[in-house]
Amino acid sequence: MIVYSNKRFLVVDDFSDFRSSVKAMLTQMGAQHIDVAASGAEAIALCGKTRYDIILHDYNLGDGKNGQQVLEELHQRKLIGPHCIFVMVTAESSQAMVMAALEYEPDAYLTKPFNRASLQQRLDRLVERKQVLAPILDALAAGNQAGVLAACDTLLANQPRLAPLCQRYRANALAALGRDAELQTLLQAIIDERPLPWALVMLAGHLLERGHLDRAEALYEQGISQFPMLPTLYDGLARAKQVRGEQLKAQVFLEQAVKISPNNPQRQAELGRLARANQDPDRAVRAFRQAVNLGRHSAFRDPEHHLSLADSLCAQAGDSAPGPKVLLEIRQTMDDLNSSWRDNDALAARGELLQATALQRAGKTADAAQMAKNAAERLANMEDFFAADTALQVAAQLRALGQEAQADQVLSSCAEIYGDDPKVMAGIAEQTSDPDILRGGDQAMELNRQGMQLYQGKQFPQALEAFRNALALQPRNISYALNTAQSLLRLLLSAPDPALREECLDCLQRVRNMPPGDPRFERYNKLREKAESL
Amino acid sequence: MSDAPEEQSLDFSTVIASTVHDMKNSLGLLMQSYGQLVERLPANEHDSTERGVIEYEFLRLNGMLVQMLGLYKLGVNQLPLRPSYLELEEFLEDQLARHHDILRSRHIEGTYEVDEFGLMGFFDAELVGSVVGNVINNAIRYTRSAIHLRAAMDGDQLVITISDDGSGYPPAMLENQSDYILGINMSTGSTGLGLYFGQRIAELHQRNGNSGHIALSNGGALGGGEFRIWLP
Repeated sequence: MIVYSNKRFLVVDDFSDFRSSVKAMLTQMGAQHIDVAASGAEAIALCGKTRYDIILHDYNLGDGKNGQQVLEELHQRKLIGPHCIFVMVTAESSQAMVMAALEYEPDAYLTKPFNRASLQQRLDRLVERKQVLAPILDALAAGNQAGVLAACDTLLANQPRLAPLCQRYRANALAALGRDAELQTLLQAIIDERPLPWALVMLAGHLLERGHLDRAEALYEQGISQFPMLPTLYDGLARAKQVRGEQLKAQVFLEQAVKISPNNPQRQAELGRLARANQDPDRAVRAFRQAVNLGRHSAFRDPEHHLSLADSLCAQAGDSAPGPKVLLEIRQTMDDLNSSWRDNDALAARGELLQATALQRAGKTADAAQMAKNAAERLANMEDFFAADTALQVAAQLRALGQEAQADQVLSSCAEIYGDDPKVMAGIAEQTSDPDILRGGDQAMELNRQGMQLYQGKQFPQALEAFRNALALQPRNISYALNTAQSLLRLLLSAPDPALREECLDCLQRVRNMPPGDPRFERYNKLREKAESL
Repeated sequence: MSDAPEEQSLDFSTVIASTVHDMKNSLGLLMQSYGQLVERLPANEHDSTERGVIEYEFLRLNGMLVQMLGLYKLGVNQLPLRPSYLELEEFLEDQLARHHDILRSRHIEGTYEVDEFGLMGFFDAELVGSVVGNVINNAIRYTRSAIHLRAAMDGDQLVITISDDGSGYPPAMLENQSDYILGINMSTGSTGLGLYFGQRIAELHQRNGNSGHIALSNGGALGGGEFRIWLP
């Protein structure tokens, strides 16, 4: 007999009749703490205040977030832990939610209508299951992956029949620990026994990441023949084709995935990017429009979707001048961008440049010039900086709009910040032949090279000197700052020194605003954690 | 900035399907409101005959609508199979729980047994559940006093059996069951359609070149009709 009197319940449905009917059922089962919410936003707010044991969430809430989006956001914001039971209530085992994301699956689906006996039977089982798995869930909640594996082993030694319940936890733990060989063996064994969709997708993705394209593709194709309605499989095939450089085929597969599951903003945006690269602006516009609309309530909301939509709209007009309808949509999209991400100069400037470009092509020269001037002023006063490819794009736009000085300024900042990357320098060279910009970083780069050699030769004090000098020449360069910080840390580990520690933290402080998605962010975090712990 | 939905050719079956979808939602609301109304009735009114009829017909209608939607999705190849490992005890208990009220009000005893302790199956609980649910619904109509569910292994296939103690399926139906199952003869309306649906769902489950199937017989555990579904 499961006791529900000490469990905290949350019932989410937009129909008040349904909420009260479920509440009545739960009360009959002995529940005493039952909160209700009418919308996803309300549910998320409540989860921020209370740790619920059991959440019954309607999938389709009318306007606003749907159940899957709420579940994703709750996971991302860590508002529910592994012990929480999340039941998705649906009107039918419906098409639109066909595994919107395999990553965040609810613990169970419950189809409306249901009676108290069904609800109780289902909840009894779920609670029992979580109780059995408690040692695994405890380790998972503590972020202890090795503990998850140990708990799985203990559990299976006593009750081998629980194997199907443990496999996924085991696989995720092996993946988190980077134990690739064991993970592959486990997944292959699972698939050989039964083609479990999650195991198929995980193994194929794993192989794809490690460059085993043929095997990954074969797995995806095998999966599609068995589960033709699983969009993740088409996503995977599209990624494999992209790695092979077959962009057109990739787009075809991604379109299939979108057709099956049109409600995922990230997938729509990915399709938009491919279509844009494939010179298919019509498709790109439609995909980015969907990405913007769907993203409105999603944890995966991304300003790049807005900017890409505006850019694709402009490209859609081709050689002809964009009409008033197109200009209007671009302006509305950028207004929406600015009101969704307030006080963000980098985004606002990029929006203005896109609008200026469109206006110029529509022959509205004066408006375009004003808009470009606004953007240039914003950029001149901006504290943080773009990612390298964005910076190159912005510089090109500025130049095309007659803002030569600001374009050079952006290129010169770009050279200072990313100049140690030859690819970035090649990109800069395509836009300017100014020796000050192109050669200005040579000396610092040479110092950095020497520093790395010295560091590898374990001559840490000398390496530090070289990096310091490089950084002094180019104070905004991310690599030089990180290299200096790392050398300082190295010295600090053998002999504590408050002044050096201060300098190290200062180096890290300089690059804390590196653009999101920069591959060096991980390294920055590790260095900072270490430095702060000293 | 709204975008028109992806272009789709609008055919008659799509229109029907979307109407059925609405009907199902509407029925769901109706059932819920009815449930709340009943809660407010005095206790001695709770087990009235009419209530049994209403609830039974609710379930029957719902089952038929689910089936129609399922058939439509099969037709356009949109019925996703979402198999997972399940404990059979849990699955059978759930099937009976769905019919708990109606079984009680009709004084039908619902029981289940699982051949071996902790027997696990690998199938789509939602789809197979809708097949089993429809069979239970049908059995409620024709049984005298009991319905029995059983799960067992038949070689390496799982077989789920639903038996009753009624007078069994009509001989003509047993003789021509393959016609119903293959969808050749659907003249008996919902029953024929139900068998066709059951067979299609069973067939979706495949393993090592074997696919699932269904069969009808009389006699069985309780002496009445018996429906079996095999899942590889």
